[in-house]
Amino acid sequence: MGQLRIEVTQSEAAPEITVLRFEGDLDNASIRNIGSSFQLIIEKNSTYVVADMSGVSMLSSAALGEIMGGRKALVEHGGDLVLACLSLPIKTKLTLLGANRIFRLHSDIRSAINAYKWEFEGKSEVFTLSMPPALRFVPSARQFASRLAGLKGYSRRDAFRIETIVDEICNNAIEHAPADSKRNVALTLSIDRRKVEINVINASDPVKLETLRRMLSGAKEPPQPTIEDRRGRGLALVKLLSNGLDIDFSEQGTRVHATKLKEE
Amino acid sequence: MDSQIKLEFEDVKDHRDAKLVRFIGDLDATNVETVLEKVFALLCDGYVNIIADFGKLRYVNSTGLGILLHFSKSAQEKGGSFKIANVNENVYEIIEIIGAMSLLQIYDNLEEAMAALK
Repeated sequence: MGQLRIEVTQSEAAPEITVLRFEGDLDNASIRNIGSSFQLIIEKNSTYVVADMSGVSMLSSAALGEIMGGRKALVEHGGDLVLACLSLPIKTKLTLLGANRIFRLHSDIRSAINAYKWEFEGKSEVFTLSMPPALRFVPSARQFASRLAGLKGYSRRDAFRIETIVDEICNNAIEHAPADSKRNVALTLSIDRRKVEINVINASDPVKLETLRRMLSGAKEPPQPTIEDRRGRGLALVKLLSNGLDIDFSEQGTRVHATKLKEE
Repeated sequence: MDSQIKLEFEDVKDHRDAKLVRFIGDLDATNVETVLEKVFALLCDGYVNIIADFGKLRYVNSTGLGILLHFSKSAQEKGGSFKIANVNENVYEIIEIIGAMSLLQIYDNLEEAMAALK
């Protein structure tokens, strides 16, 4: 492709992020320009940089070294440099050189920005599932919650606990809904790097609601299961696994909200 | 879709009234009834000593735990036992948190569970 062109812009989605777009060959001849770009960025006090590599046709070891130097300078100023939109040959070369252990790689610019917001701004991501009030849909919902937690850096133990919390709350919602209810159960997961908030809303059966209220007010820590207690104490288990549990009752519906903090 | 669980059955050497049951998959509210039927069938057929191998049981919830307690009680009433082995750490934590440790016979491995058979 030939001579390198470099474009420096601020992200529209996140103005504090600089997008550094390379187009052409990142070869030995372009080292000076690469270095100058990073210097300019740092002088403007912009320290979080996403390098758009979609236009890169060739990457030399020396040019990679210069980019690594740029990252080092940004990190020293409290920022970072991540790489996005790499072609397969470039990604392969980076991996062979071990650079994938130094740089975070993203498939596109949006993913890079989301990762920044997740890590540096504590932004949460919200997922909502709406499912018919039938137990057979709950396994998929709990497994989704578990995989999501794993993807977001929660430990396997935490992911299991989150899966259990979702399972127990959803099962409870369905079992305590009116028998003829067709209203979907709404599960919302709000996840950030410190905690997961789980909300389940469903229709209420007034008779079953009363049972639920009595069960919750009597639920102790730890629960005292007996051999006769065939169905177990789902919400009592949720109370013990989560860092907070509250329930709002009304004739219009029941909302169960649980919080699970990420274990350090 | 119901959660997947599979039970595999094996005879236990030198114990004609015992059966080894391997639980494979997830035990939850969607499949407890199926598991209940199959294990109760064993008890009714005279296999009053059941050893449950949980080595491949990934997940259990409070409903699943409830039927395990039920198996334990029923087996004891028939003069037998329901022993559990190879519990993974996540399932173990659930059993512990829910306070069922003293109500279930849990062993580190199958050898210990079998050695405990009368």
